[in-house]
Amino acid sequence: MQQVPLAFGMILLTVFAYLAMARIYKRYSYSVLIPVLTATTLIIIVLSLFQIPYERYMIGGQWISSLLGPSVVALAYPLYKQRHFLRDHLLPILGGVFVGASSGMVTVALLAKVFGVKQSLALSIIPKSLTTPVAIEVAKGIGGNASLAVVGVMIAGIFGAIAAPSIFKLLRVHSPLGRGIALGSASHAIGTAKAAEYGELTFSMSSVTMALSAIIGSVLGPIVVWVFHM
Amino acid sequence: MRILTIVFQICILYIFSYIGTVIQNFFDLIIPGSIIGLLLLFTCLCLKIVPVKWIEDGAVFLLRLLMLFFIPTTVGVMNYASLLSLHGALFILAVLASTIISIAITGTAGQFFEKKAQKRKDEKECSKFHSHSA
Repeated sequence: MQQVPLAFGMILLTVFAYLAMARIYKRYSYSVLIPVLTATTLIIIVLSLFQIPYERYMIGGQWISSLLGPSVVALAYPLYKQRHFLRDHLLPILGGVFVGASSGMVTVALLAKVFGVKQSLALSIIPKSLTTPVAIEVAKGIGGNASLAVVGVMIAGIFGAIAAPSIFKLLRVHSPLGRGIALGSASHAIGTAKAAEYGELTFSMSSVTMALSAIIGSVLGPIVVWVFHM
Repeated sequence: MRILTIVFQICILYIFSYIGTVIQNFFDLIIPGSIIGLLLLFTCLCLKIVPVKWIEDGAVFLLRLLMLFFIPTTVGVMNYASLLSLHGALFILAVLASTIISIAITGTAGQFFEKKAQKRKDEKECSKFHSHSA
C-alpha cells in the first residue's frame, strides 16, 4: 500500500519540475533551457539525492507516460486544420519527408562506422530519429538494444530541438514546410513540440513528418543496415 | 464543466489510441498503435465521422503539455551512466552530428521543394492567363 503515496509523489515531482522549468524557459527563451532537458536533469538530481532507482520512479512516472498515446493521436487535430495545405503541397512534403528519413539513418550509420562505434551500439542508434515506440521495434528488428535505442532517440530529440533554431538561421530556412519537416524527421515528437513555437503550420508539418517517418523508417532501417554491412 | 469536457475528450483520444494498438497487434505491424490511431482519427475527422468539436478541447490541452509526457521516458537515461565512457562518447557524438546534418539537409531540401512547387504553380497560372488572353 506504500506504493500509492510513492506514485503520487513521483507524479507531483514530474509535474512540478515540468511547470517550473516551462516557466523559466518562457521567461528566458534560450533553447538550451528546453523543459524536457532541464526538468529531466532536475528529476534525475532529486532521484539520486534520495537514492530512488528509476524503476521505483516509474511507478508514478508510467501514469504520465500513459498520456503519450492519446497525445500522439491528438496530433490529428492540427493536421486536420491544415488539411488543405497538406493536399496542395503533397509532393514537396513527401519529398522532404523522404530526404529527412533517409538522411537521418544514413548519416548516423556512416558516422558510427567512421567513429568506430561498437556494432551493438551502432545498431541501436540507427532508428534514433524515429518516435520512441517505432525506434524500439526497429532497433529490435535489426539486432540492436531497445533501451539504448531509447537513449539515442532522446538525445536526438532534445539536441535537435536545441540546435534547430541556429541551423535554420545559419542556412536561412524560413519556410514552415522546411522547418517542420526538418524538426519532425530529425527529432520526432520532441521536435514537433518545439515546432509548435513556430506556429500552427510548422507544427502540423512536423506532426505529418513524424507519422510518415515512422512508416518510412520501419522499412528503411533494415535496408540501411544491409547496405552498410553492419 | 470545462474540465469534464476535456477529460471526456481525452477518453475519446484514448479510445483511438487503443483501437490503433489492437490493429497493430492483430496485423503484427511495426508501426505503433498511437500512430495508427492518429491516421484513423485524421480520416474520421476528414470524413466527418467524428466532429472536430468532440476532440478539440482535449487535443489542445494534451498538445500544450506534449513535452511533459516524455519526461518519465527521458529520465530513464539515468540508468546508462556507462555512456560516460569513450565508447559512450562516440555513440553520443554520432547521434549529435547526424542530427545536425540531417536537420540542415532536410530543412534546406524542404524549403527548396516548396519553392520549386510554388514556381511550377505560378508558371501554370501564368500560362493559363496567357492562353486566356490569347
